[in-house]
Amino acid sequence: MNDRQFPARLAALRRPAAAVAAIGGVILLSGLRIAPARAWADLLLASFAMVCLGLSGIFFVALQYATGAVWSIPLRRVGEALAAVLPVGSLGILAVLLLHPAIYPWYGHSEIVTEGWAGFKHAWLSYPFFLVRAVIYLAAWLGFSSAIRRNSRRQDREGGIELSRKNTRLSVAFMVVFGVTFWLASTDWVMSLEPHWASTIFGIYHFSGMFLSGLATLALLALALRATGPLRHGVSNDQFLDLGRLIVAFATFWAYIWFSQYMLIWYANLTEETSYMVLRTSSGWGSLFVVNLLLNWTLPFLLLLPRANKINPRTLAAASLIVLLGRVCDLYLMIIPPFSAASSRPAIWDFAALSVAAAGLFLVTMRSFFASEPIPVGDPFLSSALKIKK
Amino acid sequence: MSRRVVVGVFDDEANLLGVTQEARAEGLKILDVYTPYAVHGLDAAMGLRASRLPWVCFLAAITGAALKLWFEFWTTMVDWPLNIGGKPWNSLPAFVPVTFEVMVLSAGLTTVFTFLVLARLRPGKRPAMLFPGVTDDRFVLMLEESDAQFDLVRVRRLFEKFGVVAVEERIEEAGCPGEL
Repeated sequence: MNDRQFPARLAALRRPAAAVAAIGGVILLSGLRIAPARAWADLLLASFAMVCLGLSGIFFVALQYATGAVWSIPLRRVGEALAAVLPVGSLGILAVLLLHPAIYPWYGHSEIVTEGWAGFKHAWLSYPFFLVRAVIYLAAWLGFSSAIRRNSRRQDREGGIELSRKNTRLSVAFMVVFGVTFWLASTDWVMSLEPHWASTIFGIYHFSGMFLSGLATLALLALALRATGPLRHGVSNDQFLDLGRLIVAFATFWAYIWFSQYMLIWYANLTEETSYMVLRTSSGWGSLFVVNLLLNWTLPFLLLLPRANKINPRTLAAASLIVLLGRVCDLYLMIIPPFSAASSRPAIWDFAALSVAAAGLFLVTMRSFFASEPIPVGDPFLSSALKIKK
Repeated sequence: MSRRVVVGVFDDEANLLGVTQEARAEGLKILDVYTPYAVHGLDAAMGLRASRLPWVCFLAAITGAALKLWFEFWTTMVDWPLNIGGKPWNSLPAFVPVTFEVMVLSAGLTTVFTFLVLARLRPGKRPAMLFPGVTDDRFVLMLEESDAQFDLVRVRRLFEKFGVVAVEERIEEAGCPGEL
């Protein structure tokens, strides 16, 4: 790490963040002994959130390569830094799947699945196949992510268009692989917590939440890095205007998919489908159900609607924080209710897991960001990106 | 009432942005700028204030959504209650898709028609062709000779600094900008 580049205001946060991660980690570890059911669910939640943020980082970078976007080149290193949390989240996911598979009700009890497609479900939810799939997903994501990042960094030293072309091809391949594997992974790791319930829109629902929260994290990191120095000359209001627009668009996309899932279940009113919504709209979970919609769509949408608010660092940061809170709320509502049907009261393990994730996110992204140039100086299109005016 | 205008024709986006900025800085009165495509940053260079059209769009959206929501409640609860799948009369989730569509429709149409009215565009209107090249590869800045202080020599020098292709002085009839 190049400490000369590391601004003092961010460096000062490293120790507290490490302390938070350590304390949270100890509490979470003791939780795995004291209240295993809830604490493992929390570990799954935090790890899955990390994996999603890491994926959103590399997805953002790949999207820009695949579309030949120029405006976002100064933000590429932020996306790459965000992708650095992917290995950390992957470790957490593997820990849950290997050490506590009993978190999934079908584990060792596949006979409980008796509804339609039972034969297929038995085969799909066999533990060895489940593990092999998880390893394939994670290996594919990590492979693409590190290859794209390596090429991008090599371009810093070598320059030239060839590495951009290489990354464009990698990015297009990644997006195809990602589309299938992310859908399957969200089904495997989250939906199978309630093996009787099925929603065919679940994969795209996860994608919308993943990319929305990823954009919010990108905006927060980029704002922090501009305010403290490293991106002062690279990232201008124009990039933040576009990030703000993307947040508004994807918040709306999330709400659209959220409603599509809710309305079809409400309309058809089939017992095996409504069980999911009944649990989440009753016994204390109901208020969180409404808050979820407010945090992920209504508030950020209204806050970022005026153009000036997309450029204003305060409003953009506020909206991004709201979106991140909404993401936590959304994942919490998906993962925790099956383990605590009667009460929506948060447990200390929830906070422990989330604070480890937040502190870890800060430490890992900063470490990755300051390991290279703050903007991709070797990219042939960087100079046109720096000239963009809207 | 007629007014005298000076028209400068440029062949490059960057030159046009530069000359517009300087003309504004020197206090010259910019009547309009004509370009073959949308030039980013031109609104700032001309000192245009933000469009109020988004407000029209926002209010039309709110109005359309509210009216449609009210209409759906009125038809299904008050005027002709129908039992559909045993759902309650006031089934909000079922109203959302249509409300959304009507919101988009009313916002879109209102915005377009407001724009057409404000820009005085109508079917059969004669196109105001200031300079044929602006539909191809020319960029035109139109200044008003506002008062006796207007110094044509100075304006020419400013234009030439940015590689002007042609300068013309014209007399414009009121009410039809560019129809000369």
